[in-house]
Amino acid sequence: MKLKSLLLRYYPPGIMLEYEKGGELKTKSIDLLELSPSTDVNTLVGEIQKVEPLITASRTKQVRLLVQRLQEKLRQHCDHNFYLFKVLRAHILPLTNVALNKAGSCFITGSYDRTCKVWDTASGEELHTLEGHRNVVYAIAFNNPYGDKIATGSFDKTCKLWSAETGKCYHTFRGHTAEIVCLSFNPQSTVVATGSMDTTAKLWDIQSGEEVVTLTGHLAEIISLSFDTSGDRIITGSFDHTVVVWDASTGRKVHTLIGHCAEISSALFSWDCSLILTGSMDKTCMLWDATSGKCVATLTGHDDEILDSCFDYTGKLIATASADGTARVYNATTRKCITKLEGHEGEISKISFNPQGNRLLTGSSDKTARIWDVQTGQCLQVLEGHTDEIFSCAFNYKGNIVITGSKDNSCRIWR
Amino acid sequence: MGLLSILRKLKSAPDQEVRILLLGLDNAGKTTLLKQLASEDISHITPTQGFNIKSVQSQGFKLNVWDIGGQRKIRPYWRSYFENTDILIYVIDSADRKRFEETGQELTELLEEEKLSCVPVLVFANKQDLLTAAPAAEIAEGLNLHTIRDRVWQIQSCSALTGEGVQDGMNWVCKNVNAKKK
Repeated sequence: MKLKSLLLRYYPPGIMLEYEKGGELKTKSIDLLELSPSTDVNTLVGEIQKVEPLITASRTKQVRLLVQRLQEKLRQHCDHNFYLFKVLRAHILPLTNVALNKAGSCFITGSYDRTCKVWDTASGEELHTLEGHRNVVYAIAFNNPYGDKIATGSFDKTCKLWSAETGKCYHTFRGHTAEIVCLSFNPQSTVVATGSMDTTAKLWDIQSGEEVVTLTGHLAEIISLSFDTSGDRIITGSFDHTVVVWDASTGRKVHTLIGHCAEISSALFSWDCSLILTGSMDKTCMLWDATSGKCVATLTGHDDEILDSCFDYTGKLIATASADGTARVYNATTRKCITKLEGHEGEISKISFNPQGNRLLTGSSDKTARIWDVQTGQCLQVLEGHTDEIFSCAFNYKGNIVITGSKDNSCRIWR
Repeated sequence: MGLLSILRKLKSAPDQEVRILLLGLDNAGKTTLLKQLASEDISHITPTQGFNIKSVQSQGFKLNVWDIGGQRKIRPYWRSYFENTDILIYVIDSADRKRFEETGQELTELLEEEKLSCVPVLVFANKQDLLTAAPAAEIAEGLNLHTIRDRVWQIQSCSALTGEGVQDGMNWVCKNVNAKKK
């Protein structure tokens, strides 16, 4: 094994190692999730060297510099003030979802008008219209961090893979017998997973365009799906009230997480893959040990259905969005509620942390998106202007751009 | 509502839930009818650029009513909403005689759609509060409704504005929910 280069990863903090093994170029990461501006650099570098043989004595200085750079980034207080940059009359029917590439240079919008459009974030110009689906384009994704491909899942039961640069369609994945409503690339960008109202999920090979495996076992619609950070496991959340953990290479069921007493609305892994967070219409979120599949905590407090939930990038914090019009922040370690976000005048259907982890973005049926302080729960900004409810909203990786997509057929760029 | 609740309404409804598709030309009064059904304010209604969904309880049924915009440019997208439809409600502006031919054409095309085959159809002859409104019988004849053989159908005169006739139509809907020939 020979180390070729070291790269920084800001969110969550870490160092990426590119190395050669048996003539093949590989990468792995050293996660520094606990890093803070006050961490002692020399001690930390010593610890890294103890566990990582690739970091030899000759690399000490370089690693120390990288850690210091990460600390500087953590010190930079992210308090970006957003203003409306552009309104895009994006589609002739309501939007479904929006997604940004990692660089934030472009983003995509899906719509009831059966298209997905690719936009230039800096100018607001339309770059491509991805046409070909015969029904609503519902689920969309970039293959981040690469960002050169786009996957679209449609109510027409197919998924299409596109070039982000040219807008050319590489493959149409056929096989589902009902609407595709969720999808994700694996982190290596070799496979795309689709979840469907037909109660199955399927994995597709990006190169060949062939189906790899079908995940069968759910008794009702699959509406949420995500890979873990390594891409080895995948979880599916279903209207059958359960979440299933699957082995992504064999398609075998690893665990069934049983405990919620209503439909699942979201299911995802924490960054270090130790925990699984599930949100449900039963008004609670549950935390599960990802290895054993046992429930370790139930997060209560909401008065109505949980419509979305998420971890921050390091996995230390959890945010929940509810039909009761409030959102909550929980500590993932103590499982205690830290703050309650109050102010929306309608249900909150989307919530996400900025990559820095100090701000939350919520989208609501009250036609506004809001920016919140994670620690105090104070609403810092109301992003107003949409004339119908907001279906989707997202931060870019730098945390200084927000895209909102609405039922009013438009999307807005805030920066 | 949010995307998630759209998915929940999309799935094949349990027995007591009914999926109703509300279609018709632009300015026929579909959204006004929807709001009248939901007992909501109808004073500020603008052309629908997409869709509206409302759930109404009636005679033990939960009626999930999908109101889809009727402007010409979005009519090609109606078919996106056909799946799992239990009842089709077609709304006509009875006072807009110039467009009877156009509305008849659209209805004929809908009735030929495979995904809507055998789905009971209720035609609302709306805007009967206007003096110039054509009576339901005249509209039925103009649209050749009596030639429909593959499903149950009904025409009901109404005014979405005043609410007159709307409940009669919905009573017919509840009676014919299960009339979809399999």
